[in-house]
Amino acid sequence: MAGSRWDKIWYVGKKLLTFFGSILVLSVMVFSISRLAPGDPLVSYYGDRAEKMSQGERAWAEEKLGLHEPIPVQYVRWLAGALQGDFGISYKYKRPVVNVIGERVGNTLLLGGIGFVLIFCLALLLGIWCACREGRLFDSVICKIGTISSCIPEFWLSLLLVLLFSVNLKWLPGSGAYTVGQAGGWVDRARHLILPLAVVVLGHLWYYAYLIRNRILAEMRADYVLLAKAKGLTRRRVLFRHCLRNVMPAYLSIMAISVPHILGGTYVIETVFSYPGLGTLTYESARYHDYNLLMLLCILTGILVILGNQAAQAITEKRIG
Amino acid sequence: MENRFAIVGICPLPEEQRERQYRWQRVKGVRPFFAGTVLMLVLIVMGCLLCDLFVTKDPGYLDLHNYGAPPDREFLFGTDTMGRDIFAMIWYGGRTSLTIGIAATMISTVLAVVLGALSGCAPSRADKLLMRMTDILLSVPALSAVILIQAVLGEADVLSISFVLGITGWMSIAKVVRSEVRQIRECEYVIASRCMGGGFFHVLWKHLTPGFLSSIMFMVVMNIRNAIVAESTLSFMGIGLPAEVVTWGSMLSLAEDAMLANAWWIILIPGAFLVVTLLCFTSLGNHLRRNVSRGESNL
Repeated sequence: MAGSRWDKIWYVGKKLLTFFGSILVLSVMVFSISRLAPGDPLVSYYGDRAEKMSQGERAWAEEKLGLHEPIPVQYVRWLAGALQGDFGISYKYKRPVVNVIGERVGNTLLLGGIGFVLIFCLALLLGIWCACREGRLFDSVICKIGTISSCIPEFWLSLLLVLLFSVNLKWLPGSGAYTVGQAGGWVDRARHLILPLAVVVLGHLWYYAYLIRNRILAEMRADYVLLAKAKGLTRRRVLFRHCLRNVMPAYLSIMAISVPHILGGTYVIETVFSYPGLGTLTYESARYHDYNLLMLLCILTGILVILGNQAAQAITEKRIG
Repeated sequence: MENRFAIVGICPLPEEQRERQYRWQRVKGVRPFFAGTVLMLVLIVMGCLLCDLFVTKDPGYLDLHNYGAPPDREFLFGTDTMGRDIFAMIWYGGRTSLTIGIAATMISTVLAVVLGALSGCAPSRADKLLMRMTDILLSVPALSAVILIQAVLGEADVLSISFVLGITGWMSIAKVVRSEVRQIRECEYVIASRCMGGGFFHVLWKHLTPGFLSSIMFMVVMNIRNAIVAESTLSFMGIGLPAEVVTWGSMLSLAEDAMLANAWWIILIPGAFLVVTLLCFTSLGNHLRRNVSRGESNL
């Protein structure tokens, strides 16, 4: 028994080690890439004034922001601060990075989280339904819709929905997370969420539904289904008790991997709808060389990616074990 | 006598019955959807290549008297908010969009084939390392990576954007190439070629590539599609090509102004061309995939 406990500790330890190792590598990479790139971070701090600065003023400003040192020194300094919970200040917002992100992370989690749950449940339902009616009209229509919608870029779908529902019909607001000056009302928030959410769900749903459908179809052709049927089990029982049980682990692990993909998708959608979330923030910080902000955002995304992968791996390993 | 043992064992569903199940998708062996999309793709590609012959207007000319004009007889698809003729822009822009798609796919395919084959031929530890790296890259949300790299590369042009899309799109093809190469690298003809002094690239090109080409063709076509989508998304967001370089994506970057003017043609027409082209590529890719799996089946 003792052996198995050590095995478990070793297993968890290995995972933790991989996790922190990957984060460290990621931070080094993002740090050096962003700083080696052409572009002037002073512009994001001082705005247009940066271009009119004299040589001396520039040197002073760079020293103030700690940009005059060689990159490795800057990195070590950043890391030392980060380990103590100080991620620096945003050049553009001139406030601690953590606060800037903290204000917006809720919006992204709301959009991405609800979207993810909806995709997860609807894809399962649609996939099962299609698999039950394989080759019939319903299945064909859903598959065709899936093919076509996989070809519609998310940003264009967003544009179409805005054009239809907020410009022409004026039913729903087309941008932002709430009406200016009325933050806090739940009905207002929900109304602003409908269009972005629709795009998130419509953009990803079909892919996962199709995946479930094909897995179940492959499962239905297996011998044990024949046995179960021969035993006299009903169709529904075989499907839910046997087929679905075999499909679920694969589905769960794929969904775990897809967490960052669905969130990555919301980044584009956030930008189209000018929804104040992490997506718009990432886009701004990459564009205006807001280094500290970009670093923390990349690390947050990285944590999500790695956690998703490790969860998927754990599910698969557990199944094999 | 033949049916004596028929009661023993599994009775497969008669072929005609399975065919009947799929009758919605197929009319007498011809797939009308596929045929239609191929025709469409040929039309669009020809239109983009030969647009000098039938487009009378300059796609870059800013006609300030007629900005935001709805479609009429003179401006077939209307003009955009800067007064450019959308009909001309569609064809010239399609040329750029398709070029980017194909160039990016070429870069990513070459990378994928070389890296995949290297990994497939390498000793198991190096193979593991390379594949782990591929997995890590694969799990990064593609568009975020592209946005990041393009943002730090600065102002984009057709070449740089193809390059960025190329180096972010090779992973899934490389995985397939690697597993195929692992299967055929022990074949006698490969060993013979190496014994006769064939170098890595010689063996790769002459002996390995024909083996896995059919199984990656589908992904290559899909890569063209993904590159076009990514380019248009980037250009739309303003990180990709500037609005002066006409592509389907950069035409859509005027959408915000169009929205204010309620000018549906500026948003609808380039987008429709984009979606139809993507649909054609998808249909072609699916056709290739179906043929590959048909080749492997023993039925």
